[in-house]
Amino acid sequence: MKLSGNQTALAMKGKLDAQFDRKGVLIGLFSGGTWGINNVVLGIALTLVPALGDNAALYAIPLAAACMNDTLAGLWLLIYNGWAGRFQEIIRSLKTVPGLMVCVAALLGGPIANSGYLLGISMAGPAYALTITALYPVVGAILSRIFLKQHILPRVWAGMLLSVIGAIIISYVPPEGTTSENFYLGLMFASLAALGWGAEAVLAVFGMSMIDPKIAINIRELTSGLCIAIFILPFVGGWAVISQIVVLPETFGIFAVAGLAAGVSYLAWYTANSKCGVAKGMALNGTYVMWGVILSVVFMSAELTQNLVIGSMLVLIGATLVAINPKEFFQKGGVA
Amino acid sequence: MAALLPLRFRMLHYISTVDKTNVVEIMKALKPEYGTEKQFTKEVFAEHLLDMKANFVIDDDEVMLDDKGELVIYYTISEEGKRLLKKYLPKHWQNK
Repeated sequence: MKLSGNQTALAMKGKLDAQFDRKGVLIGLFSGGTWGINNVVLGIALTLVPALGDNAALYAIPLAAACMNDTLAGLWLLIYNGWAGRFQEIIRSLKTVPGLMVCVAALLGGPIANSGYLLGISMAGPAYALTITALYPVVGAILSRIFLKQHILPRVWAGMLLSVIGAIIISYVPPEGTTSENFYLGLMFASLAALGWGAEAVLAVFGMSMIDPKIAINIRELTSGLCIAIFILPFVGGWAVISQIVVLPETFGIFAVAGLAAGVSYLAWYTANSKCGVAKGMALNGTYVMWGVILSVVFMSAELTQNLVIGSMLVLIGATLVAINPKEFFQKGGVA
Repeated sequence: MAALLPLRFRMLHYISTVDKTNVVEIMKALKPEYGTEKQFTKEVFAEHLLDMKANFVIDDDEVMLDDKGELVIYYTISEEGKRLLKKYLPKHWQNK
């Protein structure tokens, strides 16, 4: 890029660009932290759902939770966008092809990935499912290489490899006492989530060249919530679960708080993706594995196993390598 | 009047119709369409421009200081931006 202008103006421009980069990275990290909060709060909400039998516990409850999480996040975002005077932007965006692309991204990320994610947690346990789903930056980077023709550096491939190794360390041995055929089915669902989210990010970033990320994420959450409600819940008995939850103010309230955390997290994720690109945005968001584990250990007395610690650290280091060039990071003392 | 485009999309379209432009000129040009909306602020417009630059659909080739010593960045549409507009701009906007 060639820039022209006087020295002072060029220096001010350099400062503005550095601020913009730093903002993107901080927002990406914030999206990971709030997604970790969402995981924990949603976990608490799920423990308050009335017992509805084994079949409901396996499919209906996780899918109903996925639906409520996206729908409530979508409604919180609708309030936010309405307050900021962007309500009409949603309608305008839906009338354009990039807006419809965001809807398709929503289907990949919502009904497919989010359902897979919650089914994975339900069947294989959060420690294993969360770590597998954390591989989604790898999937996203590969898809962006294929479809967006993005060049992937050796450092990025190395980071991805570390993430995969970390995930294998955590998920290879099933937890004692809970081994079942559903465990492996849960791992498959978690893998589906990684695929769906990776594909979502690539498609959404493409759409966001022309659509505001704040609008894109609102469309995404509402499309996802509605599609799960209409096309999935009736077949798994999910509506029975929702009708039980909405009459329990405390339980519904906790779902609403989880939805708020999800809305904030997704808003930050889409904003980061739009500012610093798919690979960086996804990898920074991927730090939620670490936040999820820390929050579970601190607030929910979860057991901190050695495998979990080592695996999560490797996933985190890998994700960071994908996003940031350590040499440039330490040289500039800022963002690479 | 034809239905309005999403603001970011319209900004990209406007940039494609001029040689180079800055945030103040873009706001002046789009005031008749979006001027009454709460999102019509310099901060929002400047953010859209930085995001579009990061997504490689526009370039910032020239900077200067205005009378008040504030930074003014001039933007032009990139080849990728032109390609996207050609492909995704609604038909009734194509010749505007």
